[in-house]
Amino acid sequence: MFLKDAFAISPQKTFNSSFEEGDFVVHDSKTFKVIDADYAEFIPPSLLRRMGKAVKMGIGAALPLMKRNAKTDGIIIGTANGGLENCINFLNQIVDYNEGMLTPTHFVQSTPNALAGQLALMDDNPGYNVTHVNGSLSFENALVDAELFFSEQENPSSLLVGAVEEISDYNYNIDLQAGRYKKEQLSNQDLLNSSTDGSVCGEGASMFIVASSPENAYAEMCGVEQLTYPSAHDLSERIASLLAKNEISVEDVDALVLGKSGDGRYDGWYDHVTQQFPNAEFTYYKNFVGEYRTSSAFGMYLASELLRNKLVNHPELMGNISKQPKTVLLYNQFDGVRHGLIMLKRLV
Amino acid sequence: MTKVFVTGLGAISSIGTNLEEQRHALQNGISGIGKAQHFESNYKETLLFGEVKLSDDDLSRLTDSSTEKEYTRTTLLALYAFNQAIENANLSSDQISLQSTAFISGSTVGGMCYTDELYADANMKGEASNFVQSYEGSDHLLRIVKRHQIKGFTDTINTACSSSANAFYLGARLIQSGKADRVIVGGADSLAKYTVNGFNSLMILSDEACQPFDLNRKGLTLGEGAAYAVLEAEHVCSDKYKYAELTGFGNANDAFHPSTTSDDARGPVLAMERALKKANLPATEIDYINAHGTGTQNNDFTETVALKKVFEKVPPFNSTKSYTGHTLAASGALEAVFSLLSMVNNELYPSLRCSTPIEEFNTPPIVTYQQAELKNVLSNSFGFGGNCTSLIFSKCF
Repeated sequence: MFLKDAFAISPQKTFNSSFEEGDFVVHDSKTFKVIDADYAEFIPPSLLRRMGKAVKMGIGAALPLMKRNAKTDGIIIGTANGGLENCINFLNQIVDYNEGMLTPTHFVQSTPNALAGQLALMDDNPGYNVTHVNGSLSFENALVDAELFFSEQENPSSLLVGAVEEISDYNYNIDLQAGRYKKEQLSNQDLLNSSTDGSVCGEGASMFIVASSPENAYAEMCGVEQLTYPSAHDLSERIASLLAKNEISVEDVDALVLGKSGDGRYDGWYDHVTQQFPNAEFTYYKNFVGEYRTSSAFGMYLASELLRNKLVNHPELMGNISKQPKTVLLYNQFDGVRHGLIMLKRLV
Repeated sequence: MTKVFVTGLGAISSIGTNLEEQRHALQNGISGIGKAQHFESNYKETLLFGEVKLSDDDLSRLTDSSTEKEYTRTTLLALYAFNQAIENANLSSDQISLQSTAFISGSTVGGMCYTDELYADANMKGEASNFVQSYEGSDHLLRIVKRHQIKGFTDTINTACSSSANAFYLGARLIQSGKADRVIVGGADSLAKYTVNGFNSLMILSDEACQPFDLNRKGLTLGEGAAYAVLEAEHVCSDKYKYAELTGFGNANDAFHPSTTSDDARGPVLAMERALKKANLPATEIDYINAHGTGTQNNDFTETVALKKVFEKVPPFNSTKSYTGHTLAASGALEAVFSLLSMVNNELYPSLRCSTPIEEFNTPPIVTYQQAELKNVLSNSFGFGGNCTSLIFSKCF
């Protein structure tokens, strides 16, 4: 499966060329929120008004791709929680108005598949359409689904694949109580140097055009793996089998893109992976976007941009990516429970 | 291409807690819709529900989960049906933990089924509840993964009311591609204030038990339940009992409206056509259809339009939602189970409460119990967001 294009709406200025030109947005509040594009430029106002944030960001990231690429054969989205703000707004109304007569907008916008449905509608696309909601593996699952889709097609085909997660006060409160965020306030420049418990809450939408043929593509996604409740040994074994399947040696992997989040409880997992690739350069990405369940899609966006020789000299790339890489391994974990691996190779 | 067989089934719904009870209700036209006994809501007195007749405590006890304070009703229903399915397929715990065994589940309300606790936790009112770690859509799946030490591929799907049909769809493809040998597929949803108030705000809930395909249908009745099937590759189940082969599956988006289906039924037609193509069957070979049949004006109209377009002569069909209510993400899997009960027993169950069939669609649903040889059955699931999925099961004995 091949990568033809990528776009992100994120807490960095990825909606235009600022981010690739080296711009870095410093965030120092308790959440790292996206820098919005001017959605009104491409979403009719009547639609825009009703849209929840996740749907808005998702469309903001997908529409530029849909405009500059041929119509795809389907849409696959990963999101752990979908439109949470609408969801809990609706929930608040249920409780505050004691199950009185409510308006349905929040309810309809809250369903996690609202984005994939809305994209199909705007693209008039009756093709394959699925939304994966498998927590922090939702994006990896969307990629597996896309791989399967291509293996089943007789003709060359393409898909829009992506992921979205939004910050709402509510999910912030819930995850805070569940111990996922730091008690102290930290800027994103300091996040990865921290080793206290928890990370900082981020959000974003990252979208990709993927295709069955390498024509006009710049990278190949040659493997995606997932583990749940693994041991460190399980993870090492899986990395070895992923390399073996693709006939890639440890030395061939010249860059790692890692989901280190500044959470002292779990960051050891990233060191464990880094140690297995002594010759690889590596970078992190949560200093750009914070922690959220489908952040690995932003990791893939970053890897994708590195592979097409953008961002290589970005001053805030933590670690040290000094040259356009050939083979990138992405690794991310959440809560130490769900772990995802994605392997990308440069084509040109 | 590797054949995909169904070797085990498990289901719990308002018409029973095992396959025998549910088959008995279907044979005898006994609906599970009535006044809710366990679900707490202001709509308890005015609306009817397809409620599972067990309390959370009963389900905890029956799944040996009394010490698991973080389990929600969705998780308990899912675990109950999951356990039944793996026992029915005689899977050992070693087989369940193989890297080649996958688990895919659909849910819409997921871990957010306890509206009041969620309200308190989301708004930081007081101490965090037991469920503060349980709200994710995939929570039920993750807990079953831990409980049964599942090591292979896992996925949770939310395509609204077609979620668990898509779990079957993805499971079959994992097996056909060689990525898995066994996949446990299905879905679970429990009654929740969230969905009751949501569907109520859309004004598509009936104040009486739903009447799928009746001219005077007033809307849907919400239900709850869970159903799972064990899918196995030909080469790992040669000596086992097989309910059926999963031969066809089709997925399409209606691309019309966020919460209603199109008048020309584009999505439903494409889903059925794609499933027939995948199964390599002409439409004339389908002997029975388990319709989506929610009982709303919109769905049942669109579905009849779709059936007329795909089938020159519409095969016998029913909506088993007239028994269970609409169990949302569980409905695709639950109705796959009912379709398989029909097929292996060569019997057709009456669709309930359709007294005045839709005029312009001159084919009423099955209204009396009948015996019939069924070789291929089709089950439809359509959801919000335009998500349409059809499954075809074929007899293999």
